[in-house]
Amino acid sequence: MSLLEYALIGGILYGIFFALVAVGLNLIFGVMRIINIAHGQFVLLGGYGAFLLTSRAHLNPLYGVPLAVLGAIVVGVPLFRAVVPRLQKSSNPEMLSFILFFGIAQMIDAVLIMVFGADQRSLPQDALGAGSITVFGQSFPDSWWVASAASLLVLAGLYLYFNRTRLGFATRAIMASRDEALATGIDVERVSMISFVIGLALAGTAGVFVPYLLGSISPDIGNELTTTSFAVIIIGSLGNPLGTGIGGLVFGIGTLVMQTFFPSWSNLVPYALLVLIVLVRPAGLLGKSVRVT
Amino acid sequence: MRVSRPVWLLSAAVLIFAGLTLAGLLRPARAATAPTEIKIGTLYASSGTFAVASQGQYQGLQYWAAAINKGGGVFVKAFNKKIPVKVIAYDDQSSTTTATTLYNQLITQDKVDVLIADFGSVLTSVAIPLAAEHHMLLIDPTGSGANFFTQKTDYLADVSIPTSAVWPVPLGKFILEQKIARVAILYDSNDFDVSQAETLKAALAAGGVTPVYYNGVPTTESNYSVLLHTIAAQNPDAVIELGYAPNDIAFLRDLASSGLHFKMTFTIFPGQLISLITKNVGAKALAYTYTYPTPPLVRFDSVTLGVNTDTFVKDFTATTKAAPNFLNAAGYNNGVIVQQMLATAPAFTQLDFHQALMDMSGKTRTLLGDFKINENGAQLGELLPVAQIVPDGDGTKFVVVYPQDKATGKAVYPAPQP
Repeated sequence: MSLLEYALIGGILYGIFFALVAVGLNLIFGVMRIINIAHGQFVLLGGYGAFLLTSRAHLNPLYGVPLAVLGAIVVGVPLFRAVVPRLQKSSNPEMLSFILFFGIAQMIDAVLIMVFGADQRSLPQDALGAGSITVFGQSFPDSWWVASAASLLVLAGLYLYFNRTRLGFATRAIMASRDEALATGIDVERVSMISFVIGLALAGTAGVFVPYLLGSISPDIGNELTTTSFAVIIIGSLGNPLGTGIGGLVFGIGTLVMQTFFPSWSNLVPYALLVLIVLVRPAGLLGKSVRVT
Repeated sequence: MRVSRPVWLLSAAVLIFAGLTLAGLLRPARAATAPTEIKIGTLYASSGTFAVASQGQYQGLQYWAAAINKGGGVFVKAFNKKIPVKVIAYDDQSSTTTATTLYNQLITQDKVDVLIADFGSVLTSVAIPLAAEHHMLLIDPTGSGANFFTQKTDYLADVSIPTSAVWPVPLGKFILEQKIARVAILYDSNDFDVSQAETLKAALAAGGVTPVYYNGVPTTESNYSVLLHTIAAQNPDAVIELGYAPNDIAFLRDLASSGLHFKMTFTIFPGQLISLITKNVGAKALAYTYTYPTPPLVRFDSVTLGVNTDTFVKDFTATTKAAPNFLNAAGYNNGVIVQQMLATAPAFTQLDFHQALMDMSGKTRTLLGDFKINENGAQLGELLPVAQIVPDGDGTKFVVVYPQDKATGKAVYPAPQP
C-alpha cells in the first residue's frame, strides 16, 4: 500500500509538472491551429537559460522564470511575425506548421550543441531546497514540490487569464471560432501573437525545472519532451489548455504507478493512454466534440 | 613409325596448351595494386543519447590516425609498404536508423577497407548483420552486448572493451566476498545492460544470492525517485544500477535528493566519464559509490602494442589540450589494433584481417590491457576491476578494491551516511 501511495503522490506532483511542460503547446495549437513541433526545444531553451544563470551569474535557477518570459518575447514576437500569418493564410496550416517547426527544432538543436555541446547539464542540487517534504507519510525532494507549486501557480494564472481578463476572453473566442472572433472585431492577429508568446514563455518556464525532475538537460531530449507533451494534451483535450492539467495528472500517475509495479513498461504509458483516448474519446478527457475541418 | 600430319599438329597443340596452363598455375599470383590510402570507415554521433561517448571514441581514433600519418602511414604487410590512412566518418546522431543507412554507405559506396562501429551496443547492433552480409570484418570498439557473440564468426571483433557478459564477473565476486546477501539490480533494457544484469544475477546465484529486486527500465529513463523508493522497500544492502551516462546522472542525483542511503551503490559510467558525472552529480553524491574503473584511471605500464597508458595520457593531453577519458583511449586502441592487424595480415582480405586478429589474441597487451578474443569475436581480456570512489579533499579519487592483485586499497563498507 505504501508503494502505491508513494506512486500516487509522486504521480500527482510529476503530472502537474508535465501539465506545465505541455500547456504551451496546447495553447498555441488551440489559438492558431499550428503544431509547434519545436515545443520541446523551447522547453530546453528555458533549461539552458537557467543553467547559464546558475553557472555564470551564480543566481538561483528560479530567476530563469522571468528570463524565460523575456526570452519568449524577444524570440516569440519576431518569430510570430515571420511565420505565423503566412502559415494561417495557407490552405493547410497544420501540416505546413508541422514541417516549418520541425526545421526550427533542428536549428535550435544545432545551436544548442554548438553553444553547450552534447553533454548533460544540471542545475545545483540544493538550489530549490536540500531537504524533503513529507505528505501522508511520503517524502519527496523539495525540488519536486517547488516545481509542482510553480506549475500550479502558472496554471492557475492561466485559468485567471482566460476567465478574468478581456484578452483571455478574446483568446477563448478565437479558440472557439477564429472567423466569428474576426467578425466581432477582435484583433485576432494581436491576440494570437500574445498567445504565441505566452505559449513559448510557458515552455521556457517548464524548462527551468526539467533538470530537477529529469536529472539533466541535453540537446537530445527536446523531441522526447515534444512527443510526451503531445500525449499529455491529447489525453486532456487537444486545443483546450485547461484540459492539459487533467492530461498531465493521468500521465503522471499512470507513469509512476507503472514504474513502481512494472518498470520495464513505464514508457509505454503515455502512448498507450494516447491510443486509448483517441479510440474511446477522440476529443480527449475534457473535450466536448471532435473538431471537423 | 610415321606420324600423320593431323596427329602431329594435334599433339603439338595439346603440349603447348598444357605447357601454358602449367606455367600459369606455377607462376606466383600477381600482387594486387596497393591503394594510395587505407580507407577506414566509421560513424560518430554529434547529438543524441550517445553523443558524448561516441565523440570521445571518434576523437581517439582521429588522434591515432593523425599520429600514424605523420610517420607516413600504416605498414601494410600485404603490399610490403607504408600507406597513409584516411578516416571516412559520418554522423548518425545516435539513431540506429540513420546508422544503418550510413554503415551501408561506408560498405557499398565508399568501399572502405576497414569498418569500425560507433560507440556502444545500441549503435553497433545494426552494423553486425550488415557487415556479415557484405563479408566485412566489423571492428567493434565498445559494443559489448553478450548476444552479439553467440556464434562463430569471421566478421566481428570486439577490440576495446570486454563483452558485457564478463564485465560484472569481478563485481559479482566482490559482492559475494563482502557477504552482501540483499542485492537490488536495476538495469536499462538494452543489450549492453541486460547482458550485464543477467551475468551478475548468475554470478550471484552461484554464490547462493538471489537479488531482492531485479527489474529493467527503458533506456530513456530519467526519473528514478519512485524506482528508488520501490527498491528501498526491499531493504537491499547493495543497489546496482546498470545504465548509460544519462541514466547514471539521473539515478545518482535522485538518490542524493531522496534521503535514501544504501550500504553499497554501484553505477557504470563514473568509471569512464568521471568529469562529466562529477560535473552533473557533484563529488558529494559520488562519495563511496562503486564503479568499474577504466584506463586511464587504471594504468598499464608494460604494453606490447602502441604506447602505454601514461605516455598516451601525456601525448594526448599535449596534442588536444584536454586530458583523455576512457573513450579516447578506446578510440586510440582501435587504431593500434587495426595497425597491427594490417601489419601482420599476409593478404589484403577481410578473412586475413580476421585471422591476424585471432593470431594477436592472447599475445598482445595495449593501454587497455590484455587483448584476447574468442572465435565468436567476444573480447575476454581487458577485464575491469571494481573501484570505490572516495572523497579526496574537495574532489574524489578511485580506490581499486577488487580483485586483490590489482587492489590499491580496502573498500569502505558499509558506506558512511552522508
